[in-house]
Amino acid sequence: MLSIKNLNVSIQGKQILRDFNLEIKAGEIHAIMGPNGTGKSTLASTLAGKEEYEVTSGEVIFNAKNLFDMSADERAREGIFLAFQYPVEIPGVSTTNFMKAAVNAKRKHQGLEPMDAKDFLKLMREKMALVEMNKEFSSRSVNEGFSGGEKKRNEIFQMAMLEPALCLLDETDSGLDIDALRIVANGVNKLRDANRSFLVITHYQRLLNYIVPDYVHVMYGGKIVKSGGKELALKLEEQGYDWIKEENSELV
Amino acid sequence: MSFTENIAKQFALIGNTNVAELRKNAFTAFEKLGIPSSRHEEWKYTNIKTKLNEQLSLTPVDSQVNTAVKNYISSLPPYSFRIIFLNGVFHSELSIVPQMKGLTVCSLKEAFTSNSSLVEKYFGKLVNYSEEHFAALNTAFVNDGAFVHIQKNVLIDEPIYIQYFFTASDVNAFAQTRSLVILEDGASIQLAEDFRNASNISVQYNHVSEVYVGKNASIDIVKLQLEVSNAIGVDTLEAQVERDGKFSAATITFSSPNTGTGKALIRNNVTARLIGENSHADLNGLYFGKETAHIDNHILVDHISPNCTSNQLYKGVLDDESTGVFNGKIFVKPDAQKTNAFQSSKALLLSNEASINSKPQLEIFADDVKCSHGAAVGQLDENALFYLRARGITKQEATQILTYAFAHEVIEHVHSKPIRQFLCDRLKDELKVNF
Repeated sequence: MLSIKNLNVSIQGKQILRDFNLEIKAGEIHAIMGPNGTGKSTLASTLAGKEEYEVTSGEVIFNAKNLFDMSADERAREGIFLAFQYPVEIPGVSTTNFMKAAVNAKRKHQGLEPMDAKDFLKLMREKMALVEMNKEFSSRSVNEGFSGGEKKRNEIFQMAMLEPALCLLDETDSGLDIDALRIVANGVNKLRDANRSFLVITHYQRLLNYIVPDYVHVMYGGKIVKSGGKELALKLEEQGYDWIKEENSELV
Repeated sequence: MSFTENIAKQFALIGNTNVAELRKNAFTAFEKLGIPSSRHEEWKYTNIKTKLNEQLSLTPVDSQVNTAVKNYISSLPPYSFRIIFLNGVFHSELSIVPQMKGLTVCSLKEAFTSNSSLVEKYFGKLVNYSEEHFAALNTAFVNDGAFVHIQKNVLIDEPIYIQYFFTASDVNAFAQTRSLVILEDGASIQLAEDFRNASNISVQYNHVSEVYVGKNASIDIVKLQLEVSNAIGVDTLEAQVERDGKFSAATITFSSPNTGTGKALIRNNVTARLIGENSHADLNGLYFGKETAHIDNHILVDHISPNCTSNQLYKGVLDDESTGVFNGKIFVKPDAQKTNAFQSSKALLLSNEASINSKPQLEIFADDVKCSHGAAVGQLDENALFYLRARGITKQEATQILTYAFAHEVIEHVHSKPIRQFLCDRLKDELKVNF
């Protein structure tokens, strides 16, 4: 589904990703861990198409298409979804209107008619229940005045609405209390299926108790320095990142 | 013949005897003032003098009701009250004025005779025609307009819709229209004044609204300038608010509808004088500029008495080569202790050629007051744009949605539900937002 080859990315002239490589197949869950400032969020933002990230070399193929030929919104319509680390507040735009625009943009891309109003509201209710969101949120402005946990639940709700092929979760667990974490993880788990892939970026192993990954990668200095199964996350939890830093001191 | 000479010749011909002394004084003042050039401090960024042609005719021209007028009237919500003027001439056959106890709604011309004592008491008493060029011209020449009088403690909960159409049957016509609105103590009303170019050539108009708000009375007035492409329009709104009174005004200007060009020069002067204790003024504005449109909002809130509050929220969206002016004055007179006055002006510039001149002006002569002002000019929030695009919404649609959200805040301040809904739909239409 996703193939990243020798990806190099800079921001404001400073190189962040260095010869980054990763293959994700349909239905797989990959977790990327690593200390702060190693390029985890840069990877997610680059894949989603944020413009200030400059791709200096390398390629990314998503479902047989060159990702860098597509704008951010095209990528989303093709099935990439980024759950933001810091979801943005949009005063004056209700969650309902926002989702209506997004769902219908995707439907148009697929050659479908805009969704019937009744069906749309039914879909909203169903997907909000998935992350235990109160229905009053649908009429409130997107993320405005939401708590940290509510914002993250809103991200997963949007993901459920848009049914993407590839979900990028950028530190979705950071700042969440255990109840919110459980709700968010449950929401994600309900969306798992054989055709949908996940790239879960996290600083902490805790999330991976709830969203159990097929592969765990450790990033350091802009590349993956270690890969393994879910047991690698446990080792990191016990031993911290110091041994990774020591083994890869030449990278920074 | 110069502009002033041309106008003097016309004044000699009108022979209007109502409030003749006042009109004569206003005319003498205008002869002295003339049309302001951009050397005048209050007209620095709005060069109207070069835009008005010197052969303008102030004689009202009655015209045929055209299709554009008919179509627009049929597109309006079913208001119970509607008064319609064409090039400054009252059209009773298009108007709907039901009788209601405690309320008088008629043409100003009719009020000159039927309500002469009220007209004599109030007409021309709020505008400062010795200094305001266009108020002087209007006071001298106005032929007709709307007259609204509400008796003590009468509450009208349906909006009164006053429609001024301009159809340019004579390209030199410079329509002088006027509304006189008097609320006795404890009265309450909602009112809309809608100005519209119903032709595809250029029109000129100069409007004055005088609004008297009695003790504990309240008024919501909405100025609609939704179809003013190719118009040169000056609009002066003067309000005086007595003790515990509330005055709320919103000015909504769309220089360019989906069809038509954005060539427009609009100047709005809004003045609220808080003469009674514990009175309140809420002055809001929303303007959209396209092509070479120029939209100028000059606001003055004059805090004269203690314990009064005022709020100003002006928002603009300027595209292409359009220009905006915001001049917001707050005066706090020595007696006006415990004043709370706020002002905010925000403009979105959607193109590199669009610009705005924003000037807040606070003059405070009392010591126990709270005043604040803020002016912001910028582009749409990049992070918000990316967030929408990351959900599959195209850049163009994301821009439209965020602009809608920015503008909608002003419309939320319009109290009248049918007018607010009408504006909301118009805004969606303007921005092609379909949710």
